[in-house]
Amino acid sequence: MTRKLLCIDNVSKHFGGNVAVSEVSFAVEEKQICGLIGPNGAGKTTLFNCIAGYYPVTSGDIVFNGLNINRKRPDQVCRLGMARTWQRVKPMSNMTVLENVMVGAFASTGALRKAETIARQELLVVGLENYAGKLAGSLPIGLKKKLELARVMATSPKMLLLDEICGGLNKTETGIILGIIRTLRERGVTIVFIEHDMKAVTSICDNIVVLSSGEKLAEGTPVEITANPEVIAAYLGGGSSNA
Amino acid sequence: MMKQAIASAFLVVAAIALPLLIGDNPYVTGILITLLMMATLASAWNIVGGYAGQFSFGHAAYFGAGAYSTMIMLSVFNTNPLVGMATGIVVSSLIALVTGSIVFRLKGHYFALASIAVAEIVRLTVLNLDFTGGAQGILLSDVAFLGLDLNSKNPFYYGMLSCLVVTLGITAYLRRTRTGYYLQAIREDQDAAASLAINIAYYKNKALLISAALTSVVGSIYALYIRFIDTTAVLDLRLSIEILLTAIIGGVGTLWGPLLGAALLVPLAEMLRSNVLGDAMVRIGIVSETSPIGMFFKDGLAHAHVLVYGIITVLCILYLPKGILGLLRRGK
Repeated sequence: MTRKLLCIDNVSKHFGGNVAVSEVSFAVEEKQICGLIGPNGAGKTTLFNCIAGYYPVTSGDIVFNGLNINRKRPDQVCRLGMARTWQRVKPMSNMTVLENVMVGAFASTGALRKAETIARQELLVVGLENYAGKLAGSLPIGLKKKLELARVMATSPKMLLLDEICGGLNKTETGIILGIIRTLRERGVTIVFIEHDMKAVTSICDNIVVLSSGEKLAEGTPVEITANPEVIAAYLGGGSSNA
Repeated sequence: MMKQAIASAFLVVAAIALPLLIGDNPYVTGILITLLMMATLASAWNIVGGYAGQFSFGHAAYFGAGAYSTMIMLSVFNTNPLVGMATGIVVSSLIALVTGSIVFRLKGHYFALASIAVAEIVRLTVLNLDFTGGAQGILLSDVAFLGLDLNSKNPFYYGMLSCLVVTLGITAYLRRTRTGYYLQAIREDQDAAASLAINIAYYKNKALLISAALTSVVGSIYALYIRFIDTTAVLDLRLSIEILLTAIIGGVGTLWGPLLGAALLVPLAEMLRSNVLGDAMVRIGIVSETSPIGMFFKDGLAHAHVLVYGIITVLCILYLPKGILGLLRRGK
């Protein structure tokens, strides 16, 4: 029996009269990789922002590791063991690559040496060890995505929220990132990730949740989702949106 | 690392020996005291403005809190100057905490705006109260401390120098701690910083508190040095701006930038004020004494040092976003 690490229960988020997320419920089991897909504007990133503490939910409950985190600030959510990356990468441009990852590592230690050791380990995992002394702002996009991964992993999270971590990358780079994600899962990290690249999603996810216009359209294994006629109509073969 | 430590030690020794070389020259010592004071103020500002990226336009409030606390404690309660200094630290910390706890939860330029507002509130309050001397200010005829000759300028030179060393020491230490890394992370990207378990409001407040307390101590020493203060001298917006400009022109977010800024701007302002530059230009023959330009340089430039500051700032912002220190480093 696996344990549910994250429970999204009837979560809605309204911006004034706009309903961005409407009564969405699903759960993520421990050590699972859960994909969150849907057309542009489906509410995926909004839901992420609610979970990570950036937006207060309008109604519903978000329970992480048995604790209701509706009213927690982003830094508190991270301290509880849930870290996120950003669709538009947010490197600390005027700090070095190593310093960026050390900032993450300071979540678990106050000692400079210890933080540096953790940071160097994580840089090794994503293959950025030769860039440690470079300014983060000077990296190309592919390496910035890797930096985001190393930085959140340095906070030693139980769960990672990855927002289009492969967005803007070519096939080779996507392959490398997916490989890193697999090794993270082997370390026991549960992962929720938003992705547009269906090949990437179906190749790596145990479970997929499909959002459309703020509502949950379907949920299931990659095989079930790719065969679901509603999903095909709304998203995969929708014509208007890019899959 | 090692090299820098040796260079710093050398610098401190040189600074300690300097008054002995100058001898009894109150004019030069006075300029050096101003230089050390501006360097300390800009360095203290740099902790919250440069490292944490929270631009304060109201540091005069903390400077004034130190100056007024010291003068009031001395003239009304006749206490030891150190008691006044401690009172100043408490008062400025309170001002910092109130400002910070209200605006630091917000992103963007709210803090910059609020800092001006708070500084103006403090200035107007002091101007309209009785026990602060109102518009007349406070004059202190005599003060004694540890048997030092406070009519000489040397004790104040060393007082300001100690403040600078402590401020730069704290800055250098912070840079090697979690707090230092967190402050820079907040400056670089507040949202990303929050997602990495950084309590934004807490660390911004911490930076502002340290900065305010140091600024207040400088204010206290300044009050003892001048022995006359009013709101124009210690609480004016002009002072806040000068502190900020010194840091920006020298190089924000660097250890030595604010000191470099003061080392350039204070002598420059003095040269303009005493008309050394204007006279020199006439004497060298660049401009004729009788031409309108010559007359401006000879008579007008002395009153224009703030204008020159402004022009330098605009040039720095346009061409040297990392200050003069950034230019020197780029040259390497």
